[in-house]
Amino acid sequence: MTLPKFEYFAPESLDEAQQLLLDQGVGAHLLAGGTDLLVKMNHGLLKPASVIALKHIKELEAITYDPKEGLKIGATALLADVAAHADIRKHYPAIAAGAHETANVQIRNMGTVAGNLCNAAPSADNAPTLLAMDAEVEIKSATGERRLPLDQFFKGPGQNALASGEILTAIHVPAPGSGEGVSYQHISARGKVDISAVCVGVMVHMAENGCDDVRIFLGAVAPVPMRAAKAEALVRGKQLTEETIEAAGIAAMEESQPITDVRSSADYRKKMVAVLTRRALAEARDRALKR
Amino acid sequence: MEQFSIVGKDVPRNDAVAKARGAAVYTDDMTLPGMLFGKILRSPVPHARIINIDTSKAKALPGVKSVITGKDIPKVKYGNWRLFADTQDEYALAMDKVRFIGDEVAAVAAVDKETAQEAVELIDVEYEELEGLYDVDATTKEGAPAIHDYCPGNVSVNRKIEYGDVEKGFGESDYIREDTFEVHAVSHAYLEPCSALAQLDLDGRITLWTSTQVPYIVQCLLASTLGMRENDVRVVKPFVGGGFGGKMELRTWEFCAAFMSKQTGRPVKFTLSREEEFLTGRRRHPMTLHSKVGFKKDGTLVAKDLRIVLDGGAYNAMGPTATFLCGNFGAMLYRYPNYRFHGQHAYTNKPPASAMRGFGAPQSLYASEIQMNMAAEALGIDPVEMRLKNAQVSGDKIPDVATISSCGFKESIEAVARMSDWKRRRKELKPGQGIGIGCYSFISGGVFNWFNTQYPFSAAEVRAFSDGTVHLLSMASDIGQGCDTAMKQMLAEELGLQMKDIRITTADTATTPQADLGAWGSRVTLMVGNAVLDAARKIKEQLFGALSARLNANVVYEMECKNGMVQPKGRPKKAIPFGDVVAMVQKSKRGEPLIAHGYYTPRDKGLVTPAFGFGAQIALVEVDRETGKVEVEQMWTAHDCGTVINPKGVEGQLAGSIQMGLGYALSEQFVMQDGKTLNTNFLDYKMPTAMDMPPSAVEHIDTYEPEGPLGAKECGEGLASPTAPAISDAVYHATGYRCKDLPITPEKILNSMEEGA
Ligand SMILES: Cc1cc2nc3c(=O)[nH]c(=O)nc-3n(C[C@H](O)[C@H](O)[C@H](O)COP(=O)(O)OP(=O)(O)OC[C@H]3O[C@@H](n4cnc5c(N)ncnc54)[C@H](O)[C@@H]3O)c2cc1C
Repeated sequence: MTLPKFEYFAPESLDEAQQLLLDQGVGAHLLAGGTDLLVKMNHGLLKPASVIALKHIKELEAITYDPKEGLKIGATALLADVAAHADIRKHYPAIAAGAHETANVQIRNMGTVAGNLCNAAPSADNAPTLLAMDAEVEIKSATGERRLPLDQFFKGPGQNALASGEILTAIHVPAPGSGEGVSYQHISARGKVDISAVCVGVMVHMAENGCDDVRIFLGAVAPVPMRAAKAEALVRGKQLTEETIEAAGIAAMEESQPITDVRSSADYRKKMVAVLTRRALAEARDRALKR
Repeated sequence: MEQFSIVGKDVPRNDAVAKARGAAVYTDDMTLPGMLFGKILRSPVPHARIINIDTSKAKALPGVKSVITGKDIPKVKYGNWRLFADTQDEYALAMDKVRFIGDEVAAVAAVDKETAQEAVELIDVEYEELEGLYDVDATTKEGAPAIHDYCPGNVSVNRKIEYGDVEKGFGESDYIREDTFEVHAVSHAYLEPCSALAQLDLDGRITLWTSTQVPYIVQCLLASTLGMRENDVRVVKPFVGGGFGGKMELRTWEFCAAFMSKQTGRPVKFTLSREEEFLTGRRRHPMTLHSKVGFKKDGTLVAKDLRIVLDGGAYNAMGPTATFLCGNFGAMLYRYPNYRFHGQHAYTNKPPASAMRGFGAPQSLYASEIQMNMAAEALGIDPVEMRLKNAQVSGDKIPDVATISSCGFKESIEAVARMSDWKRRRKELKPGQGIGIGCYSFISGGVFNWFNTQYPFSAAEVRAFSDGTVHLLSMASDIGQGCDTAMKQMLAEELGLQMKDIRITTADTATTPQADLGAWGSRVTLMVGNAVLDAARKIKEQLFGALSARLNANVVYEMECKNGMVQPKGRPKKAIPFGDVVAMVQKSKRGEPLIAHGYYTPRDKGLVTPAFGFGAQIALVEVDRETGKVEVEQMWTAHDCGTVINPKGVEGQLAGSIQMGLGYALSEQFVMQDGKTLNTNFLDYKMPTAMDMPPSAVEHIDTYEPEGPLGAKECGEGLASPTAPAISDAVYHATGYRCKDLPITPEKILNSMEEGA
């Protein structure tokens, strides 16, 4: 395979990048780790007129944590950095696990969490947990900036809410409160290194009288990571007994809309939604009760 | 056990440093001045007549130097089974029909890859589509359309074996079972996609560098398809990144590169993409196996009736050999006093299946090993005991087929049971865990001369020099399996030299001795090894003669080569350096170079092989009973490959076999729809990765094969067979799911558990 010809830019500041993106117009594509972008270009699926690299922009790579403000993951923070970050491992173990279980060592040393979200694969391993935790994305362009809840970011397979000229600059995750627990579960056809056939992210908040808040997101079973609202309704306000979470798993299975493709059959995906939702709810509950 | 000084040691591989540094040059790394880039146009439809091909637009594209179709090339069919010309069913480019998605229709050579690609897209082909038939039931049904006109009924090969009295045997059996197994296609998935570079030499001859396992076979078939004499074609094998049976025939791009270089006078290179490899590449034969076996109450085997239909895809490729070998493997491992086999090789409109590591054994042994376990359970006998009771031993004869010489099979079964603590573990596992066994036997090269070569099966040349070095030449093809290193070790051992004293040149049909049938069938160690030793012993004879004359030695002294010296046996005080003795030989013959030719062709070894390898393997698995996912926790292997030439090399073969076996059992398959392969990349073709490899323990059973070089036999392919049945048996033990149609998917396990519940 040969790469198509394109112009390459490596701006060193965000301003410069924004201006370039504006000037280059729709033919321009941003490059973070390139582990999605270059694969597509190599296979002739994408023929950008220009490629603008983000990795030389220092201000985009930071990961910061503040007990009140929460977590900020810069756009070029590597999957490997997120997986190994001490604060993330301590306060956001499910985010660290999601990043760690994406791809393999080589890809984690190149690829980014932001790239994983922007690529908008229904199976993106980092999406469900961040969605469950109510993350927001910070978006900037030459003409302004905005914040968008992540659950409004995905528009379809390979499609996100960014307008031409916009750059996702950071991901913000609220500080975890006490009584909160999060879990990420996924399964694939090959053993250790594979794209998920089903993935589930769950956040629960446990109060005296049971679970008073819950967010359940399912990956790879719909065109975008989907919220399992019916399953949530079954657990909200309840004690998370084995029967309750089992029922929630079945509800999630019923509302999921997987397809059969080369990676898995719809039927198996559905069954796995039930199993993984149940497992994720149980782990999130147990983590919440430890806080 | 014989004492060796270099054989049996972990000598570093010949190619290790070059590969680790990225310095090894593969075919696609090569560039020649003025080189053109080739690209193949492939059929987008599974079965059609070609009505018309319009190449005018492609030819008009600037930068395009050649566009060819079936009309432009000699109408010569080829195929590896030269002895039976009617099995040769392929043309380099389609003449009037395409038979699978990916069948080669036309080829372009242009100044760069982009132009070649663009030109291929400009070729207009008008097809009249025919019904596509994708499974053997459909193609072998009465009245099914013929995929090849010469072959109505679509069965291209029939093979029958029968000995004893099978019906009488069943009559005498206490317990008979009959099962049908379906096994699927998997990809060789070698890391280096096929690549070939041809050049027209100044004298009008052709040189072809190609990623192949069989330079001699490519040389002969390329010559016949080009209408040239064999030795006007030179085939060179550079570094090759794996083959596993997928690179053992003449292929279209090799022909096109050569033909177009003749036509244009410029070098032409073709390199396939991974997508082309997956979409159209050779694969392991899918098969349907009906097996009926009869036992006595105590587990003694009495009779077996095995019927196999191989799904060969659109062309024969190496299917005839696979069909033959299935029949032989069906009679291996255990003593079947009464045996009947009928194998049929059928065409379908799919990419051709061909040779693949194990060559029929993984399929036929999957059926027999699983059936053995099922029978053991039904008869209430431990599967290990059942095997020991029926195991073949040294001296056993398979009528008209083979006599087993060295055989460490029983020892392998006993060793692997001991290593895994089989008896205790079978009883004391956690819920979800399971343990299972699979065994194998394999050939050390084939005896049957289907290629109809006039040369020895393997040949070697050794040149000895007065500076104490030697040069080994052979056509043996190191394709990553490490035979260059093993051959040097054997030669060093025989001549009392060090690895550094030996230069090696291999696999160039113009300079290395005629001939060698190639790297397949686990033949290289035994056959080329014997040729190397034959040459070495001829050198020694001359050295010993010269030394005897010099020392005026009494005839009671035997001579030996040891530690770089030639000496009367055990008398180092009388030793003379190897190089000095070479000089003595040369001086006595007015300077004639000291060169010896060695060769090997098996004799009186039946129909199949000079020697069999054996072994047994046990797998421990844990199955997640909710997701159906199987985690292989441990593999234990004990095997008999005769003398171990290079222990690390053998362990590498074992690791690679387990990796392939894991994929075959659990994750790899072609997802196909209407003849089209849908998973054409490593993302969707689920080959296990390094991360999926289970821990593994191995014991080499010590045997000495009299027909083998320094006692060695095969270890490259046999090990590809036991892993799938061992894992499958362990999964059954864990879940109650007995897999009769590979692969074992989580979904099948869950469905079976649901049915059982
Ligand atoms: C071998 C292999 C294994 C893989 N395994 C997995 C896996 O297990 N799970 C999984 O989810 N994925 C996997 N992937 C996919 C990929 O590695 C991940 O999605 C990765 O996180 C992408 O990050 P990146 O930085 O490389 O993105 P890039 O390829 O650089 O970018 C991806 C897309 O996002 C856009 N983009 C990037 N950054 C921004 C930004 N800041 N603002 C706006 N747009 C932006 C790019 O233009 C591009 O369209 C795998 C890929 C490979 C090659």
